[in-house]
Amino acid sequence: MDKSVHQELTTYHDPCNYARKSERTFGHGYYEEPRWVLQQCCENFVEMYPNRANNFCCGGGGGAWASPYTEERIFYGRVKAKQIKDTGAKLLIAPCHNCRDQIMKSLRKEYDFMDVEVKYLWELVADSLIIEPREE
Amino acid sequence: MEPLLLSKRERRKLASQYAELCLTCGTCAGGCPVTGVDGLDVRKVVRLAVLGLDQEIIDSKFPWVCTMCGRCEHACPMNIDLLKLLRSARAMRDRDKVPGVLHKGVEMCLKTGNNVGIPEEDFKFLLEDLGAELAEELPGFEVPVDKKGAKYLFTINSKEPFAEPEDMMFWWRILYAAGESWTVASKNWEGVNWGLFTGDDEAMKEIVGRLVQNYKELECEYLVLPE
Repeated sequence: MDKSVHQELTTYHDPCNYARKSERTFGHGYYEEPRWVLQQCCENFVEMYPNRANNFCCGGGGGAWASPYTEERIFYGRVKAKQIKDTGAKLLIAPCHNCRDQIMKSLRKEYDFMDVEVKYLWELVADSLIIEPREE
Repeated sequence: MEPLLLSKRERRKLASQYAELCLTCGTCAGGCPVTGVDGLDVRKVVRLAVLGLDQEIIDSKFPWVCTMCGRCEHACPMNIDLLKLLRSARAMRDRDKVPGVLHKGVEMCLKTGNNVGIPEEDFKFLLEDLGAELAEELPGFEVPVDKKGAKYLFTINSKEPFAEPEDMMFWWRILYAAGESWTVASKNWEGVNWGLFTGDDEAMKEIVGRLVQNYKELECEYLVLPE
């Protein structure tokens, strides 16, 4: 992994399904694993508050991203937007399609933080990889 | 407003056995970003359910603006299964009244194997085409379709082949770098199960069953739902 690719201050959004709901359903919440992966790629990491089991939903989950209640979805996201902005991070890792879309495509614009880049966790890994091409 | 005759109320369907344990403390609603939207909140939904006013919950949009994130349930001191309550309210709506495209997506998935109805030929062509593009950078890369005995069977969020196909390459790069054996099924590859959102357990089970069938037929070791 090449940590020099992502030098900016980076924060992490716990998706409900990876975190709280996995803990409830499977007896194990995936809180630390994604943070470990993230910190193999980024040197400068900051937590948002609250986090892990008490993290706030992005507002796009449970089908809300595909639902017609746009105004309510954006209103919901105000809490998430504040959490992100309060960290001062310039890169946000959101390892869930719904969360990433809600934050990247909607909340950034609605709550004025277009300067924060949003990536999937696996996008962060892919962009940090030093790949040695295989011989055919 | 008509008075509610508790003696004549219909048998409650929505109230879980735990809902009567509610202390009405409001911890659930206090930490929920959509409290008050549509005049409701989680605590009020529990009260409506306990009183047997199921239809009011079912007809309201609150269960749909709720994202079922589970923060309320996590905080509830009485451990009431609030998500089950809210999702059941979604399930009890007539299917033609499910908001937006969610139920149409479920029907499309049951019919075509993915939520947006991408035909198999188009899907295979796209994977081949994108794979060839990535191979220019990563020699020997290709997308293995229906490869029997692969270690990982990857499902795909139909949003990607439909609208953001190049995003599929993130995983492909990782798998290439790791030298892993993996595959994608040509049929029923959808990784997004909207039955979860619409409260449609039967559809959900059918869609999961198809993934498991692929996994068994392709004799893979792991089934990956990368989202």
